[in-house]
Amino acid sequence: MALSNLWPVVEPLLSRIERPARYLNHEWGCAPGPAEDDFSFCMIYPDTYELGQANQAVRILVNAVNATEGMGAERAFLPAVDMADLMRQEQVPLFSLESCAPVREFDAVGITLPHELAATNVLETLDLAGIPLRTEDRAEDDPLVLGGGPCAYNPEPYAPFFDAIMVGEGEEQLPEVLGVIRTLRAEGAPRAAILRALAQVGGVYVPSLYRWRSEEEAQEAGSWVEPLFEDVPPVVHKRVFEGFADSDAFEPMIVPYTEVVHDRLNVEILRGCARGCRFCQAGMMYRPVRERSADNIVSAVTRGLAETGYDEVSLTSLSSTDHSQIAEILTRVNGACAGQGIRISVPSQRLDSFGVEMAELVAGQKKGGLTFAPEAGTQRLRDVINKNVTEDDLFSAIDAAFAAGWRRCKLYFMVGLPTETDDDIKGIASLAQRAYDRAKAAVPPEQRGSIRMSVSCAVFVPKAQTPFQWDGQISPEETLRRVGLLKRSVKYKAVDVHYHDPKTSFVEAVMSRGGREVADWVEEAWKRGARFDAWTELFNEEAWNGAAEALGIDSAAIAQAEYPTDYVLPWTHITAAVSPRFLARERRRAAEGVTTPDCTFDQCSACGACPTLGADIELQEERPLKEGETRAANPYRVIESAAEGGDAVEAAAPAVAAADGSTATDSQEVR
Amino acid sequence: MADPRLFRLRVTFRETGRLALLSHLEVARALERAVRRANLPYAVSQGFSPHMRIAFGAALPVGVGGTAEFFDLFLTKYVAAPKALAALQAASPADLYPTDARYIEARDAAASVACPISTYEVRLSEAPTALVVPETITVVRKKKEKTLVVEEFLVGPVSHEGDTLRFTLEAKPTGSLRADAFVRELIAATVAAGHAADGLHPVNFMRVDQRAAE
Repeated sequence: MALSNLWPVVEPLLSRIERPARYLNHEWGCAPGPAEDDFSFCMIYPDTYELGQANQAVRILVNAVNATEGMGAERAFLPAVDMADLMRQEQVPLFSLESCAPVREFDAVGITLPHELAATNVLETLDLAGIPLRTEDRAEDDPLVLGGGPCAYNPEPYAPFFDAIMVGEGEEQLPEVLGVIRTLRAEGAPRAAILRALAQVGGVYVPSLYRWRSEEEAQEAGSWVEPLFEDVPPVVHKRVFEGFADSDAFEPMIVPYTEVVHDRLNVEILRGCARGCRFCQAGMMYRPVRERSADNIVSAVTRGLAETGYDEVSLTSLSSTDHSQIAEILTRVNGACAGQGIRISVPSQRLDSFGVEMAELVAGQKKGGLTFAPEAGTQRLRDVINKNVTEDDLFSAIDAAFAAGWRRCKLYFMVGLPTETDDDIKGIASLAQRAYDRAKAAVPPEQRGSIRMSVSCAVFVPKAQTPFQWDGQISPEETLRRVGLLKRSVKYKAVDVHYHDPKTSFVEAVMSRGGREVADWVEEAWKRGARFDAWTELFNEEAWNGAAEALGIDSAAIAQAEYPTDYVLPWTHITAAVSPRFLARERRRAAEGVTTPDCTFDQCSACGACPTLGADIELQEERPLKEGETRAANPYRVIESAAEGGDAVEAAAPAVAAADGSTATDSQEVR
Repeated sequence: MADPRLFRLRVTFRETGRLALLSHLEVARALERAVRRANLPYAVSQGFSPHMRIAFGAALPVGVGGTAEFFDLFLTKYVAAPKALAALQAASPADLYPTDARYIEARDAAASVACPISTYEVRLSEAPTALVVPETITVVRKKKEKTLVVEEFLVGPVSHEGDTLRFTLEAKPTGSLRADAFVRELIAATVAAGHAADGLHPVNFMRVDQRAAE
């Protein structure tokens, strides 16, 4: 069925709103949209174009669907507040970009869940599209509404709003899911039958096929959900895109007209990070680590720059300087871009002098600021969170950076981490001031006035599928007290302190840890006017508080309660393939202040991801160690005995892929 | 600015259709990216933050398109103008499309001031029976109100044929009257005088010519 074209009604609105370039389509590199007989899919980012167009998931998934025979994908974004209000007033529904078609006309729509503050925007999206908010209210001819992304690891606060939630990497999964919908729709199958069939696809969670249990029942049964049918899986494992390392690092890209965040060519050089920071969800959910080869990456950069015309390229990943060939990659990319005024950026610097060397390789003459994330102010707390970084690492990075010409440095910390005391808070001030002293010593006297050291504090948000999932968040009042203490402890004028608003972090924690009852809270808050919660100036605290009161939900308890590791959490039926035993063990080691090494440098930590997924770590070469470090005598050995870990028995030995692409297994049997 | 070792290519382009809704900054960025895609030997500035040596003509207001827009691109190597044009065209979307390229002298006036006289053509949603050209227009600049005398900027009369207006404005070194503000006030005065119904608005607004001062 051909999609309708809303452009004639959209165009007259564009002279009345800000930044019409958000709504135009027609960018360089955009696809034509589905052909008339194609199965049509609309990929939605639940925030404005500037944030969504830069999103890698949107780019990858639209490309994956377009590459599938007989399917066509379009993009849609949530209009900014001025446009959304005008559209409601003029009765114009949410439209896709490519065909400017009503989102409601698509066969299926996908909404990515990038962070915990996007929930009300999901409802705003559905409402603007004219799609009923709840799966049970949707009619046979409404599109299937699919969700996915980081928040899928605790899907319950979103559960009633989605027909199906996809867990893990979607490159292969999304075309599979759409294929099932297409086949069944062609056969005239009812919606209920389609949902039943979707539950059979790996990594797909269909919330309406499970009964939500009471807390008491859940603790007894070991899970908060009970499958309503025998063929519905009791536990949903994330999907992993096994071909990642060997797949082309070149990914077609649309070049926006209006300035977006990260407005540059992004080339994903590796996926996953096994450093094992205990607060970090990304570090748990993208395992195992998989590197693309230097040849693959350099060719993707060259081709990407030629096809997009961008003047900046970013080599993205969770920890780019950990790539085993990073020095070679940066040197070659530098050579390929010489003299063209092209900037090369490497996000997520490793916190040591090697990280700075890598930054220096591509910085050119302009050295803006460098950002490092010690996360905690004392060695004790850094050991608790498994941030395997010492003061010496930080100081050697500072020495190198300021000697090389950098003058500004930003240090990221978290407040409210488990076991944190006032000494740890004062430790942040002390560390930042000593870092400033080191910077001063590394800079010629006449330039010392230009040194700036800033401290940026986020509030710890406990995340599902991490060792700290059982820990509570501190209250917003306590956050303010600790930030106050930090500010008073900083005596240097050149060190400034910024912190994240604890009111929004509170909502994040509730969304992160809540069960299905939180969905009602989201809907009520949205009805009371909450939307764009991630935009500081639009955050509507009253709506959230009023909603909690009206529904009798104790949101503070959800955010702040601490549980023993045998407590069954509301997301136990979803897994990132990292075993619950590993998470509990990591939490115990945290309490003991014992660190766990990164399995891509050292011993296997028996997290369970490789055996559960039938996947392997894929490195191009051995990863370079820090100066003075030695690899464990028996690298890639499991650190704890199988008897103790239980799940370690089948842990496959990580493989080191040789530069020629073949897999040379550097394996010790795990026993 | 004038580096005699560089080749200065003046490229004329059209900005049409939906892309008339782009801001000047968005157009500038899009053109730079097209130059890079065209793989032309563009010059790069020296200094801390090297960037492409390119200069743009006078800005168009958001919503106003153009058929005779231009930019100057500085090249380190001579590329025959037709060849450069073809490369740019292959790297450009239809609504932001180069139509001419020719070399000009290094000493010629800068792109931003070379052509202060602009002619605009506006198609209105309906044909007014007569036009009322306001004598003065009050604009807000940097939060201050400023009253501009229209005849200081208007070159010749405002022509009116059916639903189409045509007029020419001159930009002064001291400031200029924006074409979109002028048309807005002109429509308001025309509607107020009863020469057209409420709701009169431009449906197509283009700058059709730019030239040097006499």
